[in-house]
Amino acid sequence: MRSVWVFHLDTGACNGCEIELFDALTPYYDAERFGVKLVGSPRHAHAVLATGPLTRQSYHAAKEVIKAMPPKPRIIIAIGTCACSGGIFYNGYPIHRRPEDGRKGSEYPRRGGIDELVRDLRDEGEPVGPVMYIPGCPPRPEEILYGIALLLGLVEKRVRPEEHEAAGLEVGRPPIDERLRLTLRERLRHVIGHFDADRVLEDFMGLVSRAKDEEELHRLVEDYRSRKDERLGACMELIETEYLRWKRGGGERS
Amino acid sequence: MGVTLRYPFVSIEAPPEYRGVPHIDPELCIGCGACVNACPPDALMRIDDLKNGTREIVLDIGRCIRCARCEEVCPTGAVKMTGRFEVASLDRRDHVEVVRLRLVRCEACGEYTDYTERQVVKALQILPEEEYDAEEIKAYSRICRRCRRKLSALGAIEASRRFAP
Repeated sequence: MRSVWVFHLDTGACNGCEIELFDALTPYYDAERFGVKLVGSPRHAHAVLATGPLTRQSYHAAKEVIKAMPPKPRIIIAIGTCACSGGIFYNGYPIHRRPEDGRKGSEYPRRGGIDELVRDLRDEGEPVGPVMYIPGCPPRPEEILYGIALLLGLVEKRVRPEEHEAAGLEVGRPPIDERLRLTLRERLRHVIGHFDADRVLEDFMGLVSRAKDEEELHRLVEDYRSRKDERLGACMELIETEYLRWKRGGGERS
Repeated sequence: MGVTLRYPFVSIEAPPEYRGVPHIDPELCIGCGACVNACPPDALMRIDDLKNGTREIVLDIGRCIRCARCEEVCPTGAVKMTGRFEVASLDRRDHVEVVRLRLVRCEACGEYTDYTERQVVKALQILPEEEYDAEEIKAYSRICRRCRRKLSALGAIEASRRFAP
């Protein structure tokens, strides 16, 4: 297929995906390069761009839309985590779920979203084409372009199912006491949040393993404070104080 | 083409600090399930198989909303958000990541417990050895909850006999 004409079908999305979707159609990202054209009627469409977790209200309308499309190729492009599997709304009361799927359970891949409708339609004997899943909450415009390009065969697939056997008993040992590391991590998390806390703590452990004594550690910390921005510098000072308190007090009893 | 990004034909990097899909490092994961408890949309699951003694930590990035709560709570730093975003696929099974861990087998009754071998190793790392009897704790960690309770009860009975025969 050279060019897909698409119809946008919103099944109860929060409009995050819509914003990204229309971004993908602007001149900067320009999905029309691939022949993607937004059409006003499902009767003209090769594909539906489905967004949203498929609410009970939109279920019947969405069914009508897909039935109104020409029987071939009837491609479904599920945009966003909600359309792929229900997303954050997966067990909400207004979400349509097939009775046998339920809302709990531990099957994987996780069920929900536009899949429920597609399976209903297939059970009714309606022809439905392939479903392209583009997860993301919301997906970036690049992600949407990538999904469409993948559908058109322009790019290679980059994901595959991953299974790992974690058999070894080696869990890794940081340069400082594990108990102390977790304590410092919690302390930092309350000050600057986990994202920066993890980075500062990693840098601090690097300094600890480099420094031979407390004076050298203090010099390294001062050097770090002069290089980084004030927030990270202040946190570094804080955990240095805590670290030394722990060291001198001989553990938690201090 | 002027202003247009030549995207799928040129590769682009995600911006710094972008939250892409998470990834579990199987070398670091201890299977504690902290991420499972934190995950708002249930994209992460902990499935215990008590017959074969395995625990599966399953991550479905097709359900993930990339809130990074799993990264925040992970005690070992095994779950990390990556910059990857090109995860579209025609098959939902491509989105699933499974880490399989071994459960501890109880040395008293031979049944599998509900914690993994790696969790025990990690917990022993955290315990301050000078404050606890390390040998006793190590022995107790290989025993399931029910047997441990039985042992404590028997010990208490034994101790009380000594004082009130």
